[in-house]
Amino acid sequence: MRWVVYFFLFVLGGMMLAASFGFCPDPDEDIHFVVPPGWPQPHYDFSKNQVTKAGFNLGKRLFFDPVLSRDSSTSCASCHTQFSGFTHVDHSLSHGINGLKGTRNSLTLFNLAWGSSFMWDGGVNNLEVQPLNPITNPVEMDNKLENIVTKLNRSALYRPLFYSAFGDSLVTGQRVLKALAQFMVMLESYNSKYDKYMRHEPGGEMSEAELKGLKLFRQHCSSCHAEPLFTNGSFENNGLTVDTELNDYGRMKISRDPADSLKFKVPSLRNIVNSYPYMHDGRFGTLKQVLEHYTNGIVNSPTLARQLKKRMKLSEEDKNNIIAFLQTLSDKDFLFDGRYRNFGY
Amino acid sequence: MRNFLTFLFISLSFFCLAQDGSLKIVVEPVFDQAPLQLENKAYVDAHGDSLYIDEFKFYLSKLRFHNHEMIWGEQQSYHLVDAGDKSTQTFVIKNIPAGAYYNFTLLIGVDSMANVSGANGGDLDPVKGMYWAWNTGYIMTKLQGRSKVCKTLHHAFEFHIGGYLPPNNAARAVELYTPGLKIEAGKESVLHLKANAAEWFKNPETVDLAKMNEVNMPCKDAMRVADNYADMLSVY
Ligand code: HEC
Ligand code: HEC
Repeated sequence: MRWVVYFFLFVLGGMMLAASFGFCPDPDEDIHFVVPPGWPQPHYDFSKNQVTKAGFNLGKRLFFDPVLSRDSSTSCASCHTQFSGFTHVDHSLSHGINGLKGTRNSLTLFNLAWGSSFMWDGGVNNLEVQPLNPITNPVEMDNKLENIVTKLNRSALYRPLFYSAFGDSLVTGQRVLKALAQFMVMLESYNSKYDKYMRHEPGGEMSEAELKGLKLFRQHCSSCHAEPLFTNGSFENNGLTVDTELNDYGRMKISRDPADSLKFKVPSLRNIVNSYPYMHDGRFGTLKQVLEHYTNGIVNSPTLARQLKKRMKLSEEDKNNIIAFLQTLSDKDFLFDGRYRNFGY
Repeated sequence: MRNFLTFLFISLSFFCLAQDGSLKIVVEPVFDQAPLQLENKAYVDAHGDSLYIDEFKFYLSKLRFHNHEMIWGEQQSYHLVDAGDKSTQTFVIKNIPAGAYYNFTLLIGVDSMANVSGANGGDLDPVKGMYWAWNTGYIMTKLQGRSKVCKTLHHAFEFHIGGYLPPNNAARAVELYTPGLKIEAGKESVLHLKANAAEWFKNPETVDLAKMNEVNMPCKDAMRVADNYADMLSVY
């Protein structure tokens, strides 16, 4: 009789130990996708990749793991850091493996479930396959998905994580990508001061300057940077001069349509003060410069957006008010959300 | 009553099982009449240029079998055939209703559904290397090799054909007559196909490798090559 009790204690202890290994670093946190009130339905098809805690945690681990790069030097987080809205601050063009420079400024990563195309030129049609770009890009991670899958299949650490996420410890390319997608769709930002203002919540009290800025923003900017996502997901030419060194014509590379020359994806302006520098090539370091561009720097060309053909007139005070408003788009809950933090490394 | 239902269930499932057979499809890569040998055998294309082939891969999808009563299609039907990997040249299709099928249709390439549905598994897993990252989509077929006439690095030519958006959808529908094809209950039948790499270079357009030797994105040239290889499959 007594050995039965011992046996049970042994098994119970083992289970607790296993559980503490498996879930140890995470405080009590819930992982489920939220559609904030008043927002459209997300574009991402969750039915084919249900977000689970195990899948999210695996995706997070992969996101922070330099094992994804050829020489284990660079992780996704190298170019996408949380405090900046998951972009690469300070660098106008992203730096990857061996410090090699890419040709474009890193993009912010949040509210990706609402995106219908990815990259500045929209060349990627599904969030799940976006990571193939940095993984295979010679100046980013310079690796192959095949190599990653082989490496992870040999990893005593990863196989159990794949088991808990997918019910099978076999690592496949599809599972690596689905796990990364589970982490990325959970990067949601909807608790800025502006959001609280819209929801009439405490913390949403806007100053007079901010309210004036919002009004001007709705007048001049929101046809492209549309609320609540602060992008309408389209491609536009907002009047930047062509960088003659990079010769990046944006959307035209994908559509091969001259009507798309110099058009780039309208980026979200959430967390914008945290995600400098600005534009696809990071040419502007400050929001002041951005507003200077919209008022005095627009270059006319056949594909220039209709809304920008007429000169935008803004006084210095107007510009300051718009910047004051843009500051209300920073979401501290998101930028410091502990669920996205990396504990393993 | 309960017993009767159980009996019905068991006999029904037995009945269903017994009505299905399977089909082994064997795809042999060839260059004209001869089995294709990669890397070290010289072939001559329709334009008269000598060439070596280093890689030959293609997707077959949407496999369907037709007879007078019905069309039976394989679910999740995507098969990648690689001339460099014998194990990919044979695959078995299960649970085909027994019967005679006079017609077999399929796509060379993959449908647009597969191209927009994110990370897929099995033969569609991007680890297979048949995928464009920067401009999402499957490389539906690949043929690459070398020819002295190509003024490129290592005299290489490279045809990576794909694209799912009109007007550059590179998937090609193929219809093959299979007059002798019979699926028998509980048995495995065999269907032999040949995939002729020589067809890439001719009909309707004779390819001059000196002029066209690199296609690696969805475009008009990709459509020209796809039109050429649309008839590369045959039953034998
Ligand atoms: C070397 C820097 C670098 C690394 C490493 C990197 N990225 Fe990026 N990321 C970028 C740049 C630059 C862009 C914009 C690229 C473009 O538009 O051409 C981008 C864009 C993206 C986008 C598209 C966002 C949108 O709204 O369109 C996603 C998603 C993304 N990266 C995820 C990842 C993931 C996941 C990883 C790791 C597998 C990763 N990135 C690694 C620099 C990097
Ligand atoms: C016609 C559409 C359009 C209008 C109107 C517009 N923008 Fe933009 N905006 C864009 C596009 C497109 C980009 C990206 C351009 C690029 O990088 O090539 C952009 C980029 C930006 C960026 C940089 C974002 C980043 O992450 O790099 C900021 C900031 C910005 N816009 C603010 C504004 C403000 C403020 C207004 C109103 C005064 C405004 N925009 C009006 C289309 C527009």
